[in-house]
Amino acid sequence: MSVTLDHQNVGQPAPSSGGDVMTLHDVTVHYPVKQGVLQRVTGAVRAVDGVDLSIRRGQTLGLVGESGCGKTTLGRVIAGLVPATGGDIWFDLDEALRSRMEHLRSVPAESMTAQERSEWATLQANHRLGAMTKERQRVYRRNCQFVFQDAFASLNPRQLVRDIVGRPLRVYHEATGSDLDVKVINLLERVGLGPQHLLRYPHQFSGGQRQRISIARALALNPEFVVLDEPTSALDVSVQAQILNLLVELQEDLGLTYLFITHDLGVVQHMSDYLAVMYLGRIAEVGPTDQVFTDPLHPYTKVLRDSNPSLEGDEVDGSAHLRLTGTVPNPIDPPQGCRLHPRCPVSQPECGWQVDDMFLSLETSTPASFDAISRVERSGPFAAQLVMADDASARHLHDEITNSRSPFGRAVESITLNGANVSIRLREVEEIPLIPVSPGRMSSCLLSGRPGGITPPSESR
Amino acid sequence: MTSAPTSSPAGQTGKTTLRTRASSVRWARRREVLREVMRNPLTVVGFVIIALFLLMALMAPLLTEANQPDPYQSPRDWGNIDVPPGVEGHVLGTDSTGGDVLYGIIWGSRLSLQLSLTVVISTLVIGTIVGSVAAMRGGRVDNFLMRVVDVFLAIPELIFALAIAAVLGPSFRNIILALAVVFWVKYARIIRGEIIRVKQTDYVAAAHVVGDSNWNIYRKDVLPNAVTPLVVQATLDMGNVVLIGAALSYIGLAQAGLTEWGAMVSAGQSGILAGQWWVSTFAGVAILLWALAFNLVGDGLRDALDPKTEGR
Amino acid sequence: MSVETPSDDWLLRVEDLSVHFHTPRGVVQAVDHITFEVRPKETLALVGETGCGKSVTARSIMKLVPEPPGEYASGSILLRSPSTGAVIDMLTAPMDQVRATRGDRIAMIFQDPGKALNPSLTIGRQLAEVFGEHRARMLLTQAGIDPDHAPVGSGAIASQRAGVIRRNFFHLTHPGQSRALRAAVDDAVINALSDTGIPNPRKVMSSYPHELSGGMKQRVMIAQALACDPDLLIADEPTTALDVTIQARILDLINDLQQRRGTAILYITHDLSLVRQFADRLAVMYAGRMVESGPALEVLKAPQHPYTQGLLAAIPRAGTPRGQLAAIAGSVPQLVDPPPQCHFSSRCGWSAEVCTTHVPHLIGLPGERKVACLRFEQASSIGVEEAEMPLRAAHVEVGP
Repeated sequence: MSVTLDHQNVGQPAPSSGGDVMTLHDVTVHYPVKQGVLQRVTGAVRAVDGVDLSIRRGQTLGLVGESGCGKTTLGRVIAGLVPATGGDIWFDLDEALRSRMEHLRSVPAESMTAQERSEWATLQANHRLGAMTKERQRVYRRNCQFVFQDAFASLNPRQLVRDIVGRPLRVYHEATGSDLDVKVINLLERVGLGPQHLLRYPHQFSGGQRQRISIARALALNPEFVVLDEPTSALDVSVQAQILNLLVELQEDLGLTYLFITHDLGVVQHMSDYLAVMYLGRIAEVGPTDQVFTDPLHPYTKVLRDSNPSLEGDEVDGSAHLRLTGTVPNPIDPPQGCRLHPRCPVSQPECGWQVDDMFLSLETSTPASFDAISRVERSGPFAAQLVMADDASARHLHDEITNSRSPFGRAVESITLNGANVSIRLREVEEIPLIPVSPGRMSSCLLSGRPGGITPPSESR
Repeated sequence: MTSAPTSSPAGQTGKTTLRTRASSVRWARRREVLREVMRNPLTVVGFVIIALFLLMALMAPLLTEANQPDPYQSPRDWGNIDVPPGVEGHVLGTDSTGGDVLYGIIWGSRLSLQLSLTVVISTLVIGTIVGSVAAMRGGRVDNFLMRVVDVFLAIPELIFALAIAAVLGPSFRNIILALAVVFWVKYARIIRGEIIRVKQTDYVAAAHVVGDSNWNIYRKDVLPNAVTPLVVQATLDMGNVVLIGAALSYIGLAQAGLTEWGAMVSAGQSGILAGQWWVSTFAGVAILLWALAFNLVGDGLRDALDPKTEGR
Repeated sequence: MSVETPSDDWLLRVEDLSVHFHTPRGVVQAVDHITFEVRPKETLALVGETGCGKSVTARSIMKLVPEPPGEYASGSILLRSPSTGAVIDMLTAPMDQVRATRGDRIAMIFQDPGKALNPSLTIGRQLAEVFGEHRARMLLTQAGIDPDHAPVGSGAIASQRAGVIRRNFFHLTHPGQSRALRAAVDDAVINALSDTGIPNPRKVMSSYPHELSGGMKQRVMIAQALACDPDLLIADEPTTALDVTIQARILDLINDLQQRRGTAILYITHDLSLVRQFADRLAVMYAGRMVESGPALEVLKAPQHPYTQGLLAAIPRAGTPRGQLAAIAGSVPQLVDPPPQCHFSSRCGWSAEVCTTHVPHLIGLPGERKVACLRFEQASSIGVEEAEMPLRAAHVEVGP
């Protein structure tokens, strides 16, 4: 039994086949950090910090990353739960509209012709999140649904399953009374439950069943796009398999597009056509899943893949695997240039080394030098003057840095010694964008396009 | 899986039956919760005492002849003043004006009921409204309202009520008013905290994703899940209000001669040294039992409705 | 009818252990007559999904199950000393003996390091307590104090039980020894911390748990557990709460420490893919019972029990066509007053009538493997007709 796609909004054209369900440009989500009695904003948690992404209709895009990378926030932004603080998000652009949008987007506002201006306004009114007309907003809402990670937390503990699953239908006045009940039963059967579950409370179900209820609710309005935020992470393996099978079956029957957010590489490899890897609020790499897995372009992807315990293959030799050093930096003050560079096993001088990186490594490698720093006067992230405790330690530090062959050392443009002061200036690096490396594949690593790619250099750091 | 209603395809039996079955399921759940509450024997004791007081209050006109013109003034038996319990038909004795103590206890229970119900219900409503507005709006509205609440909370309940009642003039109605003014802030704060917690849950987020309106979300998702601590507090306050109300009438802020338990304690005080213990004691015991009963029930409710054990 | 022929060289033997919980709804048989052993220097992985009883088993070994509502309904937990050969039964030994083994001969690390560390003590203090509890004599000796003729107060200071007043008094009266003792404690702590790869032990020593990241806290917990060089380390899902890159490094660390110190590890997890990397042997639990055990790689390559087979088939892998993960139908049964049967029978593809009336026992198979499934048992040993038995397994070895 399959449920047909039918769109109840009379007068609205059915979404086109092909094209993108969602298109994202430079999306940011910054949460302000307030401190002090007067609650002044002193900084921002950069949960999502410049993401470009497009989700193709009918496909499953996997979004992978570790905790704190921003994937959950990004998922919620796409589903309209959280407003973006920057960038633009577009819904339902076919090929033609997309290229118009890209073009108009790059034209500065002052130099737009009247026709371009009106076209841009129409485009935004119909397709841009946050600028859409109320009608289009409803179409977007109906077509973009969300399945939460913790099924128990996402079901109102005081509502019966009948009311939980039937609610979307009630809100949009799709059905009432016995008609509603019939529809709800259909939905429950679609996800493997039955009419006997109608009049029960969420706490009377197992984890897997609750997730099914959550999925049934998401499907109530016949959406074309569902964001799944770690839908099986809280489930046992055997139950997870059931739910994953169900999701695939539903996708095939209903022509759904999925954004599948997870930290489990095995699951994402199984479920997705395309894969986007996130780190610290930015996309590290995007591409077809199998290509990203077998031939990663970004070192973070490679580390993720290598860290993932696997049941396959020959006996793994852990020593050959890439590993990250250190810990995840604070998202309030992420590293300059490439976000990964302080921890990256293959970092280069041009990756965005900054003064703070030096402090971190000094603290661990030569704490004596670190303790000898009495004051730091910064003039930006890439230049600073360090006042040392005495001339000897200043000289020691100066020599240490000058003789260093590490990527940090090679990123130093100038270093001068003046008594007990050491002035240091590093190469200034801008934000490193996500660039296409080969058809369908993008990466934000500088090494990706170069010969040799991301294999570790033979010389020691 | 726990037990559940037997299955029968809803389509067969039609809409009314499913709806009534749904409500019967909901009632079954509430009965289950009640059973959980009654598991504690102390709570049952509290319920029994409350039931007795309720009976006493409702059936007062049947239990004793209502005094005219004001039933809340004890009928004066001037021939039998300061009579100890059991003498001359006065089961609990009389006070120094010949007022029957038992009469005072019975009619006093009506006053206690009136006092506690009025205060608790009105403060619940006001507090919920204010707290909900603060929590749902957030921002400056929330800040402002909560600072107002803070000011109120900074003053001890008894002293505050005392001040207000003193200003308004001695009467039972003014005691009620004073207590209402003092008590509402507690509920505002409680429900604001609960609503803020509930707003962050995934099921509220899910309701937003579904596209429901803010009012509906408040009505169906936020409020039902935020009220539990309010219910507990309201139950406890049924007892506390009478305690404080008795204190106020004890110091004379009610009309003279009122059959209010606190006033009775005060009236019988001077007789204690002369050996006439019965007036103050019985009235005091009544206050004690009332407050104790509601505290027991409130505690039992709190334990049973603890989210950690709720619904399991 | 025990199948276990104990090996000659064992460290921990859990024999016929049952743990019940008394709840208002009835008696939950969380662990039901399980038997297994851990040998010195090996890693045994105890695998199962939620509710299989693996965590309860782990806690029972250190006698950490709260005794009402829990109850050790049967069995024994034998701990053998590799040096002296002396054996104690954790379940019947007096509590002070149990406490002496905790931290010293058996140590445990938990899933959430944040919860296992005291938030109001510095890391250094917490680690010092471990040393103080079990290695006070060693600390005194290192400080140049003869433990048998130690001055008054130094013993208490070494075992971390002295308060500020006693410490300061000792410092006034024996300044040299006090300094030496402090240095000895600090050294022990720093060594323990740097042994787990923590880059700046001095700084970590004076930090509070909330100042550290998850991976760092887990390292601290490992340092604390291994401080006294235990014979056995019980790791209860230590990396479940960590990101995969950090998990990889923690596993590397545990592996490395095991190589260097020869600690045996009982690793509790629900993740079969982890097991492949470092476990020598594997035991699978389901609904409170042990259903299969054997050398890890062998079991993963050729699982014999239907549950193990199902579990492996359900894990998403690159090759599986999408939507065709072999899911196990149904869900784990409730263990409240359960009937005597194979708990997996309702979900098993091979189950027969007899599976709902008889409890399968662990049968030995060649290659040190064991399975608890009626497919491997003889009809005669149960007392039913051959026709009622489930389909026999490909190779049915003779059981007792």
